[in-house]
Amino acid sequence: MVPVQYYLLVSAAVFCIGVFGILTRRNALVFLMSVELMLNAANINLVAFSRFHGNLTGQMFSLFTLAVAAAEVAIGIGIILVLYRNFADVDVTNATTMRW
Amino acid sequence: MAALSFELAPVIAALPFVSFLIALLAGAFAPRLLPKGGAIPGIAATAGSLLLSAWAALAVWNSSEGVYHESITWVAGVGDAAFDLHFGILLDPLSTMMLVIVSLVAVLVHVFSLGYMNDEGETGLPRYYAGLGLFTASMLSFVFASNLLMAFMFFELVGLCSWLLIGFHFREPGPPSAAKKAFLVTRFGDYFFLVGVVGVFATFGTTAFAGSESFPHLAEQVLAGEASATTFLGLDPQAWFAVLGLLVLGGVVGKSAQYPLHTWLPDAMEGPTPVSALIHAATMVAAGVYLVARMYGFYALLPQVLAFIAFVGGFTALFAASMGVVKKELKQVLAYSTISQYGYMMLGLGAGGYVAATFHLMTHAFFKALLFLGAGSVIIAMHHNENMWDMGGLKEKMPVTYYAFLSGSLALAGIVPFSGFWSKDEVLYEALVHGLDSPLLLGAYAMGLLAVFFTGFYTFRMVALTFHGDPRTDTARDPHGVGWNVKLPLVVLGTLAAVAGLVNMVPVAELTGAHLEFLHDWLDAGPEALTAHHYGDLLPYSSGTIGTELTTVLLSAGVSLGLALAGAGLAWKLYAVADPDEHTDKLGSAKTVLFNNYYQDEYQVWIATGLTLPLARAADKFDQGVIDGVVNGVSSVSLLSGSRVKRIQSGVVTNYAFLLTASLVVLLVAIGLIGGWF
Repeated sequence: MVPVQYYLLVSAAVFCIGVFGILTRRNALVFLMSVELMLNAANINLVAFSRFHGNLTGQMFSLFTLAVAAAEVAIGIGIILVLYRNFADVDVTNATTMRW
Repeated sequence: MAALSFELAPVIAALPFVSFLIALLAGAFAPRLLPKGGAIPGIAATAGSLLLSAWAALAVWNSSEGVYHESITWVAGVGDAAFDLHFGILLDPLSTMMLVIVSLVAVLVHVFSLGYMNDEGETGLPRYYAGLGLFTASMLSFVFASNLLMAFMFFELVGLCSWLLIGFHFREPGPPSAAKKAFLVTRFGDYFFLVGVVGVFATFGTTAFAGSESFPHLAEQVLAGEASATTFLGLDPQAWFAVLGLLVLGGVVGKSAQYPLHTWLPDAMEGPTPVSALIHAATMVAAGVYLVARMYGFYALLPQVLAFIAFVGGFTALFAASMGVVKKELKQVLAYSTISQYGYMMLGLGAGGYVAATFHLMTHAFFKALLFLGAGSVIIAMHHNENMWDMGGLKEKMPVTYYAFLSGSLALAGIVPFSGFWSKDEVLYEALVHGLDSPLLLGAYAMGLLAVFFTGFYTFRMVALTFHGDPRTDTARDPHGVGWNVKLPLVVLGTLAAVAGLVNMVPVAELTGAHLEFLHDWLDAGPEALTAHHYGDLLPYSSGTIGTELTTVLLSAGVSLGLALAGAGLAWKLYAVADPDEHTDKLGSAKTVLFNNYYQDEYQVWIATGLTLPLARAADKFDQGVIDGVVNGVSSVSLLSGSRVKRIQSGVVTNYAFLLTASLVVLLVAIGLIGGWF
């Protein structure tokens, strides 16, 4: 059996890739993908600990997370469509009208 | 039967209150349905109160225990040293006598108002009768209050009603200002009263007037060393009780218009004349003196306070009488006579003459209500001109008013055998016999005695100028007639002013040995702790005599009668001529001082504008500068920092994400450092 530390390392790596994507990219679609990466990093953790403790609750939570992520993507794509209509682009740094 | 009349006691005050509600509601929503603008419900209600009061008085006289004392607890105390707040009714000889007087005067004032207000075509009558109803109801509730707190609440309501009624003609400039003055000056005294009530609560845990748990009884036990009480400011019980007595006395001095808080009363003449009659005879002003009589069991224990009361009373009697001598307007003379007569009552109470002062309170209620209503009749006749120098010769034109007014004037001046003579003489007699051992009391007696001369003078100056001589204006030559509703109250009160003194003819009783001291018997009839006899035992005075007791009585009566006759005779000689001169002009600058009321108003206004106003301004500066400055400083710092910090909201999503991430990292590092992971 693979020790739990390896899963955690993979999870941390995936999370950091997600954070890196959000901090450096401008394309809104890439943003969405990066968010998915971060969510799934969390899922990996949940499943790994579930297996480690022999308790299925964590795996069930990861299923919920998947459903929530799907819903979030639907909303995210809606926002991107509106963004495109208003700015003729999907670059998030152009849309700066909502500020102080 | 007796029990039923006691059960009905709350109705005595409830009836005028209902008439107040009727006048108020019907006046607002259905003025046409209200008979005579509210006068009829008012008359019916006060007449009902009079009957019930008389019944209660009879029941008190007949029942062996003579008191009915029931309390509704409206606030129940919690904790260890808790005390409850009650509403209750105390019917004893003193309160039932006062109930009868108040309701009698109220009925007559309502009837008189038909002639003075309705027939003269005044507007706003529902408001007027609503005020009269509430005034009567408050005073009746005050009279039968069973504890000091309840008395205070109705004392305040009485003040409110006086404000409403003095300012009845609120469209003219004078009345609203006079109403405000009356309210503020009496409130100044009531402030001390309120502190006194709280002090009595803190000291005794109760404010009941009667019973074994009442504060006068507890105070008596404490001073006898049989119980203990909480005292404050490090004073011993005697001194602390004196402080409490003086605090409560503040309210009395304000309401009963004693020096130096008398200034509101002459201005209160701006109100309609029937209201003046009610204020001076039965409600408002009587409330103060009645309060001292009500808690006399407490005051009788405090010699210093008694001496103070006597001295203030004697001084006020002389002080006010001297100002009455020079006034031009009929009602002004009566106003100063009221202040002076209440001074006599205070002198009587302070000198240990509980019965004498109560007696004077009763006779004064009759003759002063009479004089004011008589003045009202004259004012109707003179088309609302109140200047006595425009009158003259009204005697033939209005005989009923004249003879009634004369009866009241003889009583006021203290001429035998009218009621005022007997009561005033008894007050002076008590002051004399107790004053022979106490110089302070003797000084108060001397001032009271001197005031008798002035009283006789101004009273008969007023009568002569108004009714005798030749008419001095066209209005006086052809006065307006008055109706039955004016004459009836005058006749009733004129009779009472003449004969009410017969209930207590002490000098005659001393002389003939006949038993004529009915008021003494009456005030001895109640529960043991509230009788005049018990108060007599408590009093710190020893009485002296000049020669025998009989010679003292006769000497006191003779001297005061002689002075009254001298004053009255002098005024008669000077003014009861065809065309009188203004003889008081010979007083020169003294007259100016008297006419300006010793500049009392001026110095009180100076205290307000020269002392209180700068102080208030300084307090305002401190408040605006320091207190508000701190508050405003905090808010402007918040605003400024907010406007700076909001700039991090750039609108660029990536920046937000960076801030989030950076904050998370900082948080993790901080937790790690504190948690000791590194």
